[in-house]
Amino acid sequence: MRRIVSALAALAVSAPLLAQQVQPEVFTLDNGMKFLLLPRTDQPNVIAAGWVAKVGSVNERPGITGISHFFEHMMFKGTDTIGTSAPDADAQYRDAQKAIRARMNEIIWNEQYRRFFNGEINDPWNPANDTPELVKLRAELKALMDSQQGRLGADRIAELTSKLATADADEKAKIESEIALLKAEQDKARSIVKDEFDKIYTGQGGSGMNAFTSYDLTFYFINVPSNKFELWAWMESDRLSDSVFREFYSERDVVHEERRLRTESTPTGIFQEQFEAMFWSSSGYSWPVIGWSSDLNSYTMEEAMRYWNIYYRPNNLCGVIVGDFNPGEVKETIKRYFSRLSRGEMDVPPVVTLEVGQLAEMRMNAECDCQPSVEVRYHTVPFRHKDAYALDVLSAVLNGRTGRLYKSMVEGTEIASDAGARQDSRKYAGAFSFNAEVKGDSTPADLEKAWYAEIEKLKNEPVPALELQKVKNQFAASNYRRLKTNFFLLLQLGYYEGLGTWEEINEAPAKIDAVTADDIQRVAKTYFTEKNRSVATYTRKAGEGAAPEDPAIAALPAPMQAQARQIAQQIAKSTDIEVLKGNLEQMMAQAAQVPPQMKPFLEYIKAKIESRIAELEKSAPAKQN
Amino acid sequence: MKHSIAILSSIMAVSTVVATAPAQDLPKRPEQLTYRPLTFNAPKASDYRHVLSNGVVVFLAPSKELPLIELSMTFRGGSFLESADKVGLADMTAALLRTGGTEGLAPNELDEKLDFLATEVSIASSGTVCSASVDSLKANFDESLALLMDMLTKPRFDESKTKIAVDSAIEGMKQRNDDASPILDREWDMLLYGADHFEARVPTEASIRSITKDDMAAFAKKVFNPANVVVAVTGDFEVPEMLSKLEKAFAAWPTGERMPVPPAPTATVKPGVYHVEKEIPQGKVYIGSRGITRDDPDYFAALVMNEILGGGGFTSRIMKTVRSDEGLAYSAGSGLDAGVWYPGQFRAVFQSKNATVALAIQLIEREFKKMRDTPVSAEELEVAKQSFIETFPRSFESKDAMLGIFVSDEWTGRDPAYWQTYRDNVSKVTAEDVQRVANRMLDFNQMAVFVVGDWDTIAPGDGLGGKAGRAKMADFFNDQVEHMPLRDPMTMQPMK
Repeated sequence: MRRIVSALAALAVSAPLLAQQVQPEVFTLDNGMKFLLLPRTDQPNVIAAGWVAKVGSVNERPGITGISHFFEHMMFKGTDTIGTSAPDADAQYRDAQKAIRARMNEIIWNEQYRRFFNGEINDPWNPANDTPELVKLRAELKALMDSQQGRLGADRIAELTSKLATADADEKAKIESEIALLKAEQDKARSIVKDEFDKIYTGQGGSGMNAFTSYDLTFYFINVPSNKFELWAWMESDRLSDSVFREFYSERDVVHEERRLRTESTPTGIFQEQFEAMFWSSSGYSWPVIGWSSDLNSYTMEEAMRYWNIYYRPNNLCGVIVGDFNPGEVKETIKRYFSRLSRGEMDVPPVVTLEVGQLAEMRMNAECDCQPSVEVRYHTVPFRHKDAYALDVLSAVLNGRTGRLYKSMVEGTEIASDAGARQDSRKYAGAFSFNAEVKGDSTPADLEKAWYAEIEKLKNEPVPALELQKVKNQFAASNYRRLKTNFFLLLQLGYYEGLGTWEEINEAPAKIDAVTADDIQRVAKTYFTEKNRSVATYTRKAGEGAAPEDPAIAALPAPMQAQARQIAQQIAKSTDIEVLKGNLEQMMAQAAQVPPQMKPFLEYIKAKIESRIAELEKSAPAKQN
Repeated sequence: MKHSIAILSSIMAVSTVVATAPAQDLPKRPEQLTYRPLTFNAPKASDYRHVLSNGVVVFLAPSKELPLIELSMTFRGGSFLESADKVGLADMTAALLRTGGTEGLAPNELDEKLDFLATEVSIASSGTVCSASVDSLKANFDESLALLMDMLTKPRFDESKTKIAVDSAIEGMKQRNDDASPILDREWDMLLYGADHFEARVPTEASIRSITKDDMAAFAKKVFNPANVVVAVTGDFEVPEMLSKLEKAFAAWPTGERMPVPPAPTATVKPGVYHVEKEIPQGKVYIGSRGITRDDPDYFAALVMNEILGGGGFTSRIMKTVRSDEGLAYSAGSGLDAGVWYPGQFRAVFQSKNATVALAIQLIEREFKKMRDTPVSAEELEVAKQSFIETFPRSFESKDAMLGIFVSDEWTGRDPAYWQTYRDNVSKVTAEDVQRVANRMLDFNQMAVFVVGDWDTIAPGDGLGGKAGRAKMADFFNDQVEHMPLRDPMTMQPMK
């Protein structure tokens, strides 16, 4: 105890912990684009560079959900300079595709939707349900896309190529000339240079190029060798001034696959999406970042251009550069290249819809191939709200190996295999979640009850000083740890700026440090109320893939199954051979007296005990060594 | 008023710069840009290497930027040392060294202490090595290191913590069949290395429950000792001072025997189509076989070949064909894992909606064939080679990353010249080399094609309304498929 107190004193006086300031050079071009430059010499030869667009799914509306994320894909498809060998021909392809797709949408949104609503077809978007005109249009669109990509007849070429191996000399010459002809036609039709944007960076040593979209922002980033900053400025300012949304109609297939990967083929993905939709009543956080499938199919070029002209103009962007560079040079390069972007003509519209206050508890009970678990979520506060810091500290009190949840649920009552809590401060609203997975025979209901008990403690008793200091010490150390890598610094600066201001990186530590035990008690009382909560429970779906039922149990009469299961679990946990042997003897002694319908039950338990004894005996010799 | 003038002048300063460099003066294409040369000499391990009096090798790379110190230990020996009935012992030992307390401190006292110091300690195991690390504020380093050394040398293996760890392993097992990816990885390793090899073995409920305190104590003693350790330290310290700290900290650490190298697998891959059923809307697929070791004369050619084929992201052929051209997958590509002790693996990977799984396999098969039959273009070769050469400095970007390389080279015994000659070796690779190594490694008929997904909708392929499509699963390996049962998650025995 004495040593802990001395450590407390040592840390409490270490004010410099809070003083680690991140001081980028900040400047704004006259077109409104802001830049943060942070030179760091400790990691030589590399620059981490990126820019954030202050737009995410929260800026969307029904009908175009997911379009922010779709933009992220489009931004890698090139411009009139990058990604095409023939810009004019390429523009013609795009116009022709746009006209066909517009007609297809018209048919689908009207005729196919009507057939769907009438119950004639099961999915208005599935090509299997196409009307004859749709079949024709779809084929025309595909031919145009193939032609633009220089792939018309690719299957025929592959077929011919496979024949080459077995062909005799005459046939071979014939096949080869047909292939040559087809390839020449492909080359003539092709206007796309595939993935040229990526190829240029790759050949120049760019690495880790990627982007992500969230509810509130879209972030594009890469690492480049420190002598090639100008390449970054060229490439990024080119795509920001001149993106043409090439492959606008084929890329949505990729996004559908991404949706299947992330949401539809994971154990809980679709349920989490539904829970989100249930939790947020009115705000734009209710739809998924990746968008609803029907919307994903429906994006139009007009809608995309509107979005581009509002949200991808320099006055809604911020560049962030961290790493080994000369700030003066980099600043000049930025001015040279990014000044070519023109300020948006339309103002960025405010997000006006506020989340309405929740009036009653909401619940979702899902069955899936998953470990049974629970989430309890509350409406709280957005980024930089004064209560966000107390909620952050509160979650830290709950989390970790010495946190309250682990101590009480994982180690104490042993009802959870995992438990955690988190404040999620988004730009326009926030939520606080408790998540836990069951252990053994416990249920999501047990976890939920235990959580409510934890809350009562938080509401009724102040967090002791030592516990609070421990958590603050960890925040203080993490203030250093988060500065370790250039790339992570880039992400933090851009992320904070995307939500409101990069200065949060410097201001948050003092606000966290100022949180008191009273604050924690107050926010617990304010937000963790019954009518403010939404609960999702996940229980394991019976059937293949689930932890299987012992077939011997399934063979028992139904009323005995639960008890057999319970006893079997106790036996499996038992480690004392002598006790087990005693049980076995006792049971055999009583065997003669049990009614005949109990025999299978007894046999089952006997077999379980015997196999457990055998298992324990097998490992026993090691014990004696 | 004064304030607004300041703003005005700063705007004017910006406009001036713009006026001197109007947009039309910018190079038309990025190829027109010129760059000053960047000279980078690969750091040498010997400049950072020290040997303590007990023979322990230590790599030190100080940096004053942040008041933190991070020390990590890598130990020869991992799950390959486990006997067949004690699979999971390495993991359990590592978990209990970390959570099970020390002779002097009960587990919870220890954790409270570490958390109060804001020190992060982790102890872990893998197939071939175990590791232990401490990440602390500079001011708390001595105390934190002393706690770590107590954890390694005077472990308590507390009973209640052992139960928590066992239970947690068992709860984890229950989830083994929930998601398709773990099924894919687990069965793939068994196909490639054989179910008995350590790369493919997984703990069962019985094997975890059979592990005793004595088992863990013996494993800890065998592996976590000075004969097997290589140490790396980064952060805010002076070298002589750190060396004497480590001398002191390790002084009473009993040594042991040096662990052998991991055993090579004896199984070989039986080519064919394999399938495990899982009702999901997207099939997950691996296509591949065992590959080469990192000492193979074709190693650099194989690196470049894989980069062009499927390793180079959007620039690579598989990504272009499967994702970009056809829209069949979100992620598609290939990976080359050159083994250290025995040949590793090559594999192509993608996920696609059920109807187009067969089509994507067909496209990848064609890419393999093209790679074997036709030399890669000069441009592809150049981009791939330049990518390796230009990103080379990034491997050493942070001190942690640099020492990570040195530590790994130290215990695996890689020739120190490797990094000095790396870029030269890459630039020597020719199109003929790439084709030769493609012929050696990319024979589709010698590979396993493994699909996890809903077979009824995957098998027929992309035909619509009874009409034949471009590909179906029967097109591969003469319509022969080995349907493998899902395994019981607790026993790993096949379920009927």
